[in-house]
Amino acid sequence: MATRITTYSALRASFSMAGVPVFRLRSTVLIFASALSAALSGCRAADAPRVATAAADPVDDFGNRIAITKPPARIVSLNPTTTEILFAIGAGGRLVGRSQYDTFPDSAKTVPSLGPALRPSVEAIVAAKPDLVILYASEDNRPAFDRLRQAGIPTVGFKLDSIDHFRRDTRLLGRITGDSARAVAVVDSVSATLERVRRATANLPRPTVFIPTWEKPIIAIGGGSFLSELVEIAGGTNIYASIPTPSATVTIEDIVARNPDFVLAGRDRERPIRALANWRAIPAVRDNHILAFDFDLISRPSVQLGAAAVAIATLLHPGSVR
Amino acid sequence: MTLARWLMLLASLAVAAFVAIAVGTITVPLSAVFDAFRGVTDSTPAMVVTTLRLPRVALAILIGAGLGMSGAALQGTMRNPLAEPYLLGVSGGAAVGAVIATTLGFGATIVPLAAFVGALTAVGAAFIVARAAGSLGDPRVLLMAGVVVGAFANAAIMVMLANAESNTVRNALWWMMGSVADATRTQITVLFVYVAAGGCALVLLGRQIDILALGEDAAAGLGVDVDRAMRNVFVVASLIAAATVAAAGLVGFVGLVVPHIVRAAGVRHHRSLVAGSAIVGGTLVVLADLLGRILRPPAELPLGAVTALVGVPFFLIKLRRLR
Amino acid sequence: MIRFDDVVVRYPRASVDALSGVSLEARRGALTAVVGPNGSGKSTLVRALIRRTALTRGGIFVDDKPVATMDGAELARTVAVVTQREELAFPVSVLEYVQLGRFPHLGAWHSAGERDRRAVEESIDAAGVRELRERRIDAISGGEWQRVRLARALAQGGSALVLDEPTTFLDVGHEMAVFELLHRLARAGQAVLLVSHQLNLVARFADHMVLFHHGSVSAAGTPDDVMRADVLERVYEWPLVVIRDPAVGAPALVPLRSR
Repeated sequence: MATRITTYSALRASFSMAGVPVFRLRSTVLIFASALSAALSGCRAADAPRVATAAADPVDDFGNRIAITKPPARIVSLNPTTTEILFAIGAGGRLVGRSQYDTFPDSAKTVPSLGPALRPSVEAIVAAKPDLVILYASEDNRPAFDRLRQAGIPTVGFKLDSIDHFRRDTRLLGRITGDSARAVAVVDSVSATLERVRRATANLPRPTVFIPTWEKPIIAIGGGSFLSELVEIAGGTNIYASIPTPSATVTIEDIVARNPDFVLAGRDRERPIRALANWRAIPAVRDNHILAFDFDLISRPSVQLGAAAVAIATLLHPGSVR
Repeated sequence: MTLARWLMLLASLAVAAFVAIAVGTITVPLSAVFDAFRGVTDSTPAMVVTTLRLPRVALAILIGAGLGMSGAALQGTMRNPLAEPYLLGVSGGAAVGAVIATTLGFGATIVPLAAFVGALTAVGAAFIVARAAGSLGDPRVLLMAGVVVGAFANAAIMVMLANAESNTVRNALWWMMGSVADATRTQITVLFVYVAAGGCALVLLGRQIDILALGEDAAAGLGVDVDRAMRNVFVVASLIAAATVAAAGLVGFVGLVVPHIVRAAGVRHHRSLVAGSAIVGGTLVVLADLLGRILRPPAELPLGAVTALVGVPFFLIKLRRLR
Repeated sequence: MIRFDDVVVRYPRASVDALSGVSLEARRGALTAVVGPNGSGKSTLVRALIRRTALTRGGIFVDDKPVATMDGAELARTVAVVTQREELAFPVSVLEYVQLGRFPHLGAWHSAGERDRRAVEESIDAAGVRELRERRIDAISGGEWQRVRLARALAQGGSALVLDEPTTFLDVGHEMAVFELLHRLARAGQAVLLVSHQLNLVARFADHMVLFHHGSVSAAGTPDDVMRADVLERVYEWPLVVIRDPAVGAPALVPLRSR
């Protein structure tokens, strides 16, 4: 399984190849993974390595050392995944600011919203007087990252695009907030569910799946995304799994050539897809093999990953899990 | 131009269209192409032909024909070899309309309409600016009015996109790069009406454009109502251009380059020039779309990018030939 | 044949009239010349005739028919106008260019017939540009271009010819050839109205001269009537004398050095 620290420069370098984060008009952000090796599909919870060494400081996804001396009391988290994780590991009460897209769990809605997650308003963040700021590690956020650090506010950037990221960053967040045990428990629980789903579908025939996230131009989920990993765990194969980036622009003819068995799309995209005349050239669309998933459940590599895997497995292989 | 040459042009268009239908990410065998034409569409390749390739190629032909004819008429009327269909603010206005519609969350049916309305509004504004500056008959004034309107449109677009969500920016940019990928039957039919009607009108005006090319006073001396003739050409050419933009976004260089190609073949009278530009324009856009599909699989190069790539070397060659 | 009747033209937003009450007539069989300093309204006269400029007052008549009521093509079939400047953005051959002169007869639809072809060939011969027939417009000299333009006007086949400064760029030989041609055409029955700077040539060839000054007619009559030192000095604001040219017998203007 890929180690974390040494791949950070590779992660950063490959970010430019990664898909542009896609924002929906609905207030949820889909975050895609940067490059990880194909060995990811062979990841097993039991192999989870320990954080580098106890002595060395961990490094965030901007490549900076995380030097937190005491657990923060006022946290700003501008990212739906980290916000949800913080609540799951018991640090939700310390949140003083979130992004407008962070709406899970329900109690997150009571935290004041500070605006967008990309290119956030630094002033609004500073006004909340945080002692830790968590940003999504995208180049769009680097200016905000630098300004916050200059202002003396500890800031970290997390990528959170793949299942592996989820495991690592949950543990890191646990360590930073001072409750590593709880974080490890959350990770283990999710990993256990994932493992259960994998075993349940391991010997079933694997249908091929196409996962679109945008129509004009057509953007498909690639192998570098947690969603692709979930599909693999749930007993399917993403037709674009060979593309290392989390997403890629593709053409309709290419999809027709790869001829997926199913199209996996969020429930709100089902009707628009059916309405597109030229998508009828794809046999799966023509034959109405469109699987609709609950977008909120599956949009983040977060504590819901296990449930997400179950949901996808239920769509692909009804009755196989539980 | 001789009949033989016309037939050759038409034949090139037919061949280009055929190749574009058969070639792509999926190579469609000849049998499937014929199946599709016969209406037999149960096989996937035949389905690809009818659902994907035919609409694209049809739209591409119409776009190329419309832009070619519009450019030929405008170059003659404005006595300017660099005139092109987007000159009077069509592209700027259309982009503003499209960006407004996209920002407000509208989808694929409203955006083209908004683009069309925006284009015509911009042309109207250019006319008003030109008239306020004094002369409607002086092409230079109209040209500058078009530049003014275009600059204003660009500023408006920048303001709107600066604070827009990523979705909107992506949609707007994609639209502005031009594409025939989303050809619908409605779009094709509507565009056909505009291009056919507008094209006939421009061919009819062809002789007058020949005379207009001598200059306003000389044309008046030969009995042409200069202001009216120029206005007619501008209106028809802009309508055609606006219709193409509504259907496929911004496809640059076609209206600029195609008339020169036809002129290089020895055609000088505008009736033939307009008709010839329709055929050559259609061929060019079909080929550009084909190139865009096969150059960088599995992604597609935007149509506007390919036509620009073709246009640049063309003009470099022309510049070298200038004495 | 072409009659200007108390024509007043004032350009929009101008403070003075470009033409203030001009009356003159160009008869058939005569060469009428309009002369005058720059800005005296000579070109405005021509533009008013082809209706590029609206009249503020007065009327222009061709064969007693008001120009304002005539159809553009009808006017063009009767009166051929060669304007001061013309530039083709897209060069054609001399033959094609002269053929454009038949437009008032052909309109948008009709093809050229035998009569049109003949008219074109005769005009090319009359203007003396036969050897330039296949050449491209942008490949001939300025002087040749002027004569080709004349050929196009002749191809229009009207009974009146109006020319605005037709001998710019022409050398002595070609200039004389044009004046002689115009004189011949006038003798053959055309009404020739000529705007020109060349006072001395005009004095030799014109039957009727009209001197413009600040938009109105300062003097009109035969060359002898108009070519008078006092009148010309006042209009051109330059010291000059008028002599009788010993070689050709026509009045000639000789400008003196400024005092």
